[in-house]
Amino acid sequence: MNKAQTHPTNEKQNQKIATGDRAILPDGAKTVPIYVMGKRYEVPETLTIMKAMEFVGFKFIRGAGCRGGICGACSTVYRKAGDYKLHFGLACQTVVEPNMVLTQIPFYPANRAVYNIEEIEPTAESVYALYPELFRCVACNNCTKACPMDVEVMDYISAIKQGDLAKAAVLSFDCIQCGLCASRCMGELPQYHIAQLVRRIYGKYIQPRAEHLKKRVQEIDSGKYDGIVKALTEMELEELKRRYLESEREPNMALPGEWLPKDQEYL
Amino acid sequence: MGYTPELKELIKRVEATRPARIDMARRGENFPALSLEERSEVLDQYHPDYQKEGRRMVRVGPNKGELFQNEVADLLESRPMIRAEGVDLSRLDFDTDILIIGGGGAGTAAALMASEQGARVIIATKLRHGDANTIMAEGGIQAATQECDSPYYHYLDTVGGGHFTNQPDLVAALAHDAPISIAWLEELGMMFNKHADGRMKVTHFGGSSRKRMHSAGDMTGAEIMRVIRDEARNRPDRISILEFCPAVELLLDEDGKCAGAILYNMETREFYVARAKAVILATGGFGRLHIRGFATTNHYGATMDGVVIAYRAGVGNKYLYSTQYHPTGAVYPEQNVGLLITEKVRGLGAHVLNVEGEQFCFPLEPRDVESAELIREAVEVGKGVVTPTGRVGFWLDSPMIDILHGEGTVRKELPAKYIQFHRYGIDISQEPMLVYPTLHYQNGGIQINDQTRTHIPGLYGAGEVVGGIHGENRLMGNSLQDIITFGRRAGTRAAEYVQGVEIKRLTLDHVVAFERELRENGIVNPVIAPVLLPDYSTEEVTSRRWQEF
Amino acid sequence: MKVLYYPGCTLKTKARNLGDTAVESLALLDIELEELSRWNCCGAVHSLADDDLIHLVAPVRVLIRALEQGGGRLVTICSMCYNTLARANRVMRDDPEKRKTINLFMDEEPDYQGEVEVVHLLSMFRDEVGWDLLRERIKIPLKGLKIAPYYGCTLQRPREVGIEPVGRFDLMKHFIEALGAEAVSMTSADRCCGSYQILGNPEVAKDASSIILADAGKSGADALVLSCPLCEFNLDRNQGVLFEEGRISKVVPAFYFTQLLALALGVDPRRCHLELNSEASIGLLRDKGIIAS
Repeated sequence: MNKAQTHPTNEKQNQKIATGDRAILPDGAKTVPIYVMGKRYEVPETLTIMKAMEFVGFKFIRGAGCRGGICGACSTVYRKAGDYKLHFGLACQTVVEPNMVLTQIPFYPANRAVYNIEEIEPTAESVYALYPELFRCVACNNCTKACPMDVEVMDYISAIKQGDLAKAAVLSFDCIQCGLCASRCMGELPQYHIAQLVRRIYGKYIQPRAEHLKKRVQEIDSGKYDGIVKALTEMELEELKRRYLESEREPNMALPGEWLPKDQEYL
Repeated sequence: MGYTPELKELIKRVEATRPARIDMARRGENFPALSLEERSEVLDQYHPDYQKEGRRMVRVGPNKGELFQNEVADLLESRPMIRAEGVDLSRLDFDTDILIIGGGGAGTAAALMASEQGARVIIATKLRHGDANTIMAEGGIQAATQECDSPYYHYLDTVGGGHFTNQPDLVAALAHDAPISIAWLEELGMMFNKHADGRMKVTHFGGSSRKRMHSAGDMTGAEIMRVIRDEARNRPDRISILEFCPAVELLLDEDGKCAGAILYNMETREFYVARAKAVILATGGFGRLHIRGFATTNHYGATMDGVVIAYRAGVGNKYLYSTQYHPTGAVYPEQNVGLLITEKVRGLGAHVLNVEGEQFCFPLEPRDVESAELIREAVEVGKGVVTPTGRVGFWLDSPMIDILHGEGTVRKELPAKYIQFHRYGIDISQEPMLVYPTLHYQNGGIQINDQTRTHIPGLYGAGEVVGGIHGENRLMGNSLQDIITFGRRAGTRAAEYVQGVEIKRLTLDHVVAFERELRENGIVNPVIAPVLLPDYSTEEVTSRRWQEF
Repeated sequence: MKVLYYPGCTLKTKARNLGDTAVESLALLDIELEELSRWNCCGAVHSLADDDLIHLVAPVRVLIRALEQGGGRLVTICSMCYNTLARANRVMRDDPEKRKTINLFMDEEPDYQGEVEVVHLLSMFRDEVGWDLLRERIKIPLKGLKIAPYYGCTLQRPREVGIEPVGRFDLMKHFIEALGAEAVSMTSADRCCGSYQILGNPEVAKDASSIILADAGKSGADALVLSCPLCEFNLDRNQGVLFEEGRISKVVPAFYFTQLLALALGVDPRRCHLELNSEASIGLLRDKGIIAS
């Protein structure tokens, strides 16, 4: 496949151009050494770990997903030269550093309890019953230190132990379920599965429900809009365009649920 | 890290022209916008969708004779991974009611609905369950749930945004089911952004007549995916999930009904025969084909697999030539490549500048026009900025925003973008961003009707793999909604269909026939597809893979 | 007066009758218990771990949170939490080697040297509120109620952190008298209730509880007063079982000291979570006319 047709050519700028996600090394660009599972490679500085590994020839099956920092497929552990600390990050979001030693952890086993969301009691006790290992937490905080999303993992586990599911749901909201917390847990907890259970209990039973939504679904089920929508599907193009252009725009500052258009025939 | 010394040197040129440009902006003067004629000229010459070059006619299959982007055409004219004649289809590795190909939002929603009706479901997915474009959608999901709104207006906004090219029955289904989808997600325990009394928080978006965008933090798609994936995992008795097992060919039975697929275990490189009474294609889009070399916002597996295997089985597509490019995707730093830089930045007054720090376009042209102008400046004029990783981009002069609207405006109005750059040592209220058009969405796809049926009995489609819902241009928030609406419909319809269906002898004859058609049309050395995953090895590396030549 | 307060997990779940009544009562005594904004388990659950140091991590982290939030004193109510926090604090104050190791291990937190003072609420009555003030504020004296103090194991041992020397029970005695009740003594006031054995070795725990309850019965007490959720479970909620199994012949309900305090200060009985105690507790209070029947 020709990858460069809508990009400047070598003649135009006398430089090689990267396309898609393929990085190249333009003349004069600097490289740094990194160690992938102990093996040394020279990679362009400023690349992410993921692109650096691809640059030197790795092709991922596991260990790559959204490539945008939200799916949790590319968990990576690394150490820097002369630093005892373990560092954690997503390969697609973390920039290479000279002499870093890294490995990906694309999968880590974790216990997940099956439950029925329709029948579960929305209480902390239900969570304890499904995950008794919660009480093996020794507050070592390794989970929080490992989280690439800066979620206060230990704090949400503490909140669950304190019976505060709402607090745990909010604290854990940014979790991408990469599993690094579980990989570091000396109590062997599957933190991210527990948090998912808590968030669903919160969303279904604790957060107040949207009454206007319930009403709208009833209206739709009653067939209220079937006629006017069907008419649109059969409408002459000119008439359709006219209606589109003439449709009134809800003001930006309208209060929730209060503004109504002048023409209410189609509500 | 921040900008390299070389790029910092180039930023001085931007700073040099800035005072004069600020004065100009304060006088209310703009770089002249294009006339309608000039617009159509730049679109014709430089917008990837309009350009004659980079496209060619497809010579085989249901869309024979139509023009497609080269990358798409190559795959429509591709040859299979397997030798179809040599496969023993009498030995079944899997036998189920419904096979769902793709484990993103649409496939998972379909699995939940089908399993509720008692169907046994297998989800075969190429990456992990949930690694999909669904999880990446940040903005929100549309539905007419408010008192001032109704499916009528949702329909009108959707077809207006699609330049009236949308397939009417699909839009009607979308507008009808949208509130039902939201209620379903709420019932499953999704954490929507709500007011204290439970009312959904809703906002406007480009092309909306009503505030209709529902959200969950700024990770709506991720929250949807987490919740429905968790629910699928609660039903292990009815839903099995095969990860790293994409489908590489559809199976038909001797009556011509869809009857399963050949799956490929990417880790052991084995193929499996999976028989099913119905198949739902939910394989997503094609961003990772990097059409015409563009970076993309899409996930790693967006390689058009579903369109390819459906094509060989005789299912054509519509609007597949149409691609949504967003004019300003980040090209620096490397970890932000493909990241969308919202139109709001230009709306607040930031100029788009070339390597000399000069304006070359009106910053608020329609998206397709704006993209074309950036491409022209790079390709024809050759005044792009080249990054250390060899990308080309243009300056988006965000520091103008604080100068024009007061200090702190960038942080207040663009908090997420500020953080995403600040993390890498770039303060976008002080330094400009580097941007280039980025490939965002596959507007077209396989043809279905409002019940998600293709013309092959037992074959259904849902999600980005299908075409027609959005016509030639999709509105924000309609993709997450179409995933749920049509995913749910596909699961329900397929579960109804499998009642009493009897699968006859399995066959891959359609694949054999397709290969014959390739040969008869003189197509030599076709690429092998589905391509499954892009290969980002450099030429330097591939040239050393001697055993593969 | 405002003082930092560490509740502990149990007081937020099963022992709300211990925590909520304390917060409300103290407000009536012009003391605001300000809950730590960030806190984790005190570490009591794993205090039996073989590793001598790892069980310090949780309580020291709580102490660091208290230091971050202003330091000074940290009040706690549950005997277990008190014991765990106070002991960890002693180690951090007095054992330089362990202090160094723990601080190194928790290198994401500021170093801690035992700056915070851990206080049990009962000590606070003696040392800061004063029995006279407490007596003054009583609205409903618990007249006619004979109460035996029950300290259990953790309020007095080890002696460095005990709220009172082993063998003396004056603190609770004064407390009971300040509330207008009569304090009676029993010999097993600091005997173990059976503790966690109720989970793994219920027979052992039931034997231990039965001895204490039989002794309480002999002493003529109407009720026990205590400050530990585990003791409350073994001695109060589990009493029906012990009675049915014929292990005890007389029911002697138990209350948290904060519940009796709240009732005496005039807090609405419905807010004292008596529903979390054994049924006999409510019956007793009704019989004595302390709550309406």
